[in-house]
Amino acid sequence: MKYIFLALSSFLAIIAQMIAGENFFLFNFLDLSLLLAAYWAIYRSRMQALFVGSLTGILLDAALGWPLGYNGFGRTLAAFVVGQCWKRFNTADQPWVRFSIFAAASCINSASIYLLFWFMQRSSSGIFPGASLLQAVITAGVGVVAFAAVDGYRRIQTHKAH
Amino acid sequence: MPSRVNGQRSAAVLIPLLVLHLALLSLQIERPSGTLLFKSWTMAAQAPVLSLFARITGGVGDFWRGYFWLVGARAENEALREAVNRLSLLNGAYEQSRLENARLRRLLALSDSMQKHTLGARVTARAPSFLANLVYIDRGERHGVRVDAPVISGEGIVGRVLLVSAGQAQVQLITNPGAAIGVMLENSRTPGVLAGTGDPLLELKYIGNTDPVAVGELVLSSGLDGILPKGMTIGRVVEVEKGKGVFQAIRVKPLVDLIHLEEVAVLLDPQTPETAGPLP
Repeated sequence: MKYIFLALSSFLAIIAQMIAGENFFLFNFLDLSLLLAAYWAIYRSRMQALFVGSLTGILLDAALGWPLGYNGFGRTLAAFVVGQCWKRFNTADQPWVRFSIFAAASCINSASIYLLFWFMQRSSSGIFPGASLLQAVITAGVGVVAFAAVDGYRRIQTHKAH
Repeated sequence: MPSRVNGQRSAAVLIPLLVLHLALLSLQIERPSGTLLFKSWTMAAQAPVLSLFARITGGVGDFWRGYFWLVGARAENEALREAVNRLSLLNGAYEQSRLENARLRRLLALSDSMQKHTLGARVTARAPSFLANLVYIDRGERHGVRVDAPVISGEGIVGRVLLVSAGQAQVQLITNPGAAIGVMLENSRTPGVLAGTGDPLLELKYIGNTDPVAVGELVLSSGLDGILPKGMTIGRVVEVEKGKGVFQAIRVKPLVDLIHLEEVAVLLDPQTPETAGPLP
């Protein structure tokens, strides 16, 4: 059941990103699949987050029509970075730390894709670095807000339980 | 502690997943040459391992062959050594044949230029005493060889037939102390007598002190002795001294290498039935 939810959520993240990007231009710079992997790394299991990253990445590659593996590689790495950083740094009520972690993960994801493109196909888009930076900022900002909301929701749920 | 263990497990999962993605990519992306990246990577990964194993197995094999697998190597070595010796001898024989061929061609050319009947002969023996200056040839009376028949080689006159039997003849070399040939100097055409002394050098007699003689001048047969035809080369003047008496002391070096004589030609009378026969 857990793995079905994992696969389903990954699939939905991609679908959502595609629909949103079609209707709102800035959503093209929001990496929902990365945030999903981050969510899994922060609130569930860091190890499972790796699989979420891989799966969402492969689905994204399929959706983009790229060779499968570019985004899978990058998102797996990003999920690992988020999980490890979240464990090591004090992120409780520290929005800038969170922002930095998300932005770093997004940048690592983009950089790995960029390098893989260059290494395997000897070509890469000239706008890729700038767009990646913008994506990192937007994704990190949305991530900080979204996870703050999640934290608030979880706190309320905890209070209710007590 | 559980967190650390969880982190290690994450890392343990991360690496295979990343490799899996790379493998997935490499199975889809082709190099410009058309080879899948996966194949070229696999080959690149195999290369050092294969090279290492090849070195190891090659080294072990060499060691085995070099030190342990020597059964029969000694016998093979002996056989090869014998083969080399046999081939060396064969090669030497071929080289001798080539040289002999060259000498015979010179002889043949000389015979043609003289337009005389000649008989090829092989030197079979030399007189026991080196000072005797006599050699034996394998042609005799039944081949048409007569006493006093001139014997020549490609370079010039060798001597004359001194004795003849049915199948061989004794040749008196021009260096023999008893040999004397009517000669003339090439430039001045001054006649003289070239006599053997037993030494490698000949003595040119009866050339007057006033006659011009140059070192290096050729000495030719004059034909006046009634044995040798006129104009054949014999030797070259190497020493000239004004004599105490009327004549100069002149030393002549034969053109023919009489020490290493192997094939000669005997000049025959025109009436002799067998002419220009091949060497045996």
